[in-house]
Amino acid sequence: MLKNPHRVGPAQLWTDAAIKGLFDERGGYVDPRIYTDRDIYELEQELIFGRSWLMLGHETHVPKPGDFLSTYMGEDPVVMVRQRDRSIKVFLNQCRHRGMRICREDFGNAKSFTCTYHGWAYDQAGSLVSVPHAERAYGSCLDKKEWSPKQARVETYKGLVFANWDPEAPSLAEWISDAGLYLDFMLDRSAGGTEAIGGIQKWIIPCNWKFAAEQFVTDFYHVQYSHISGMTSGLPEGMELHEVEMPTEGFQFRSKWGGHGSGFMIDNAAVLAGVMGPEVAEFWMSGPMAEEAAQRLGGREYANAPVGNHITIFPTMSALPGINTVRTWHPRGPEETEIWVFTVIDKDAPAEIKELYRRQNVRTFSSGGVFEQDDGENWVEIQRVLRGFQARNTPFNLQMGTEGSTEEHPVYPGRIGYVYAEDSARGFYAHWQRMLTERDWATLAPSDQAIAAE
Amino acid sequence: MRTMLKEAVRPFEAAKVGVELQHEIEQFYYREAAALDRREFDTWLTMLDEDLRYFMPLRRNRMKRFDDMEFSADDEFASFDDTYTMMKGRIRKLGTEVSWSENPGSKTRHLISNVMIGIGQEPGTYEVESAFITYRNRAERQVDIWAGERRDLIRRSDTPFGFKIARRTILLDQTTLLANNLSIFF
Repeated sequence: MLKNPHRVGPAQLWTDAAIKGLFDERGGYVDPRIYTDRDIYELEQELIFGRSWLMLGHETHVPKPGDFLSTYMGEDPVVMVRQRDRSIKVFLNQCRHRGMRICREDFGNAKSFTCTYHGWAYDQAGSLVSVPHAERAYGSCLDKKEWSPKQARVETYKGLVFANWDPEAPSLAEWISDAGLYLDFMLDRSAGGTEAIGGIQKWIIPCNWKFAAEQFVTDFYHVQYSHISGMTSGLPEGMELHEVEMPTEGFQFRSKWGGHGSGFMIDNAAVLAGVMGPEVAEFWMSGPMAEEAAQRLGGREYANAPVGNHITIFPTMSALPGINTVRTWHPRGPEETEIWVFTVIDKDAPAEIKELYRRQNVRTFSSGGVFEQDDGENWVEIQRVLRGFQARNTPFNLQMGTEGSTEEHPVYPGRIGYVYAEDSARGFYAHWQRMLTERDWATLAPSDQAIAAE
Repeated sequence: MRTMLKEAVRPFEAAKVGVELQHEIEQFYYREAAALDRREFDTWLTMLDEDLRYFMPLRRNRMKRFDDMEFSADDEFASFDDTYTMMKGRIRKLGTEVSWSENPGSKTRHLISNVMIGIGQEPGTYEVESAFITYRNRAERQVDIWAGERRDLIRRSDTPFGFKIARRTILLDQTTLLANNLSIFF
């Protein structure tokens, strides 16, 4: 039975014991209040979004010094800026005087960021350099060095830019843990690396961010039902849906630490062709660049056989390697998510392949995409159902694939099970739970002990 | 392929665009709107030409000096960028019983106005700008309202509705899209 976690004290904060009752790995259930409760949400902002590596964009979004992208870490607006020494800085998009945004456009190139309220100006690195009437108005009391916007740590993983507010958090490489290979399926296929296709689509879905992150961490299962009509839209004329053989052979990966996960079908060109068309399926699975990818990644079982891949890097970076949509699920309160989506493609890919990636992603995985539009429908309705007291106090089943996972798979590293499973979701919530209940990196950071705890 | 993204407002050419033509094209748009609102998507498809580009660029918040980059370019990401074949696929999806984002269907109302007609380069073609407000209600309580403009290239055609749309560039008056999806057409 689900323990009934209770809140304590007038501040209505959740105790660690109560949070531990919200998800049970062995029982295979999750308490839906994790998707609705405002106090849980605020804890997430502090303990998850304040301590995790959050994906902000691609290096090619800011190629030249001074190039910037306005984005978010959780609900906090930040500016990601390319520096003259080629490094990237990320700082809070907030003037230290009255808290106004210092950058008010979505992207561009700037020598400095000047607050439009009183004119305090910050350089490309986010250091306060100019204050109007500084001498007469402030005299000697204002030390400009002390009043720059808060800086985040920045690291990149094969083109993707991540930032973290917590100076004590493990490095990005440690954070990604054994999920790196499954990101490499998309990011490390060719010597030239990847580039982002221009433009980030942004839209809101009135649902908790975890529905989206969890789906991409674990859920190939929904494809055969939620997205069956999406498949119809790409069928050649004259071919009927019942002639399509739904894939059944594939694997799910659960990271040993960190709450990441992935899943994919094996050697089924129709899965990729059904979304992206036959030219892309060939590009990915058997063309010259597919061979280069196989060499780089250690064999075709990594580079070419996996198709329809989904992946989440905890908490909010998700992608579909092969389709190459990359997104961050920005939380906007317990009942709203803002989705930021872009597409990556190998820099060295032929122009016509790049164009197919662009156009097919618009057609399939975007707000109006023939696959993505049906996800929005599901999550919105779940969130609405959870307004009901009985509904949000009735646990959700998370038992799929509790048997048969192995850590000794001959081909794929990590914990591997059947593709239709929720092992990765359990890993996601186990890590979520630990992030909310363990405040010290000494026990939380990757170690034999921490791996055993997840 | 021209997407008519950066067209300046053109003066009215009374000698070229008579009342009758104006009336005819407005009637075409009203009937197109009715087809969409009544979910007669196969009929709507007959109003699209086979060289269609149905395009909705992304819109971004830019400072004045970068106004010319407010919309994503036509080789960048977009909200729609369909050929006729892709659009046909979307309508095939809508025709199934399992297109969950439109089953049960959205209740929509496409209101079209500010129809400004220019004479196209080829005979029988028109470059038409129109404004829209599209209301949608989904399920029990969801309401979305979109406003924007469409820049069309339409052609006279020997079909019951008299014209076909060859280009449609939709400029939505939103940057972050404030609806859970774009499962309808504009």
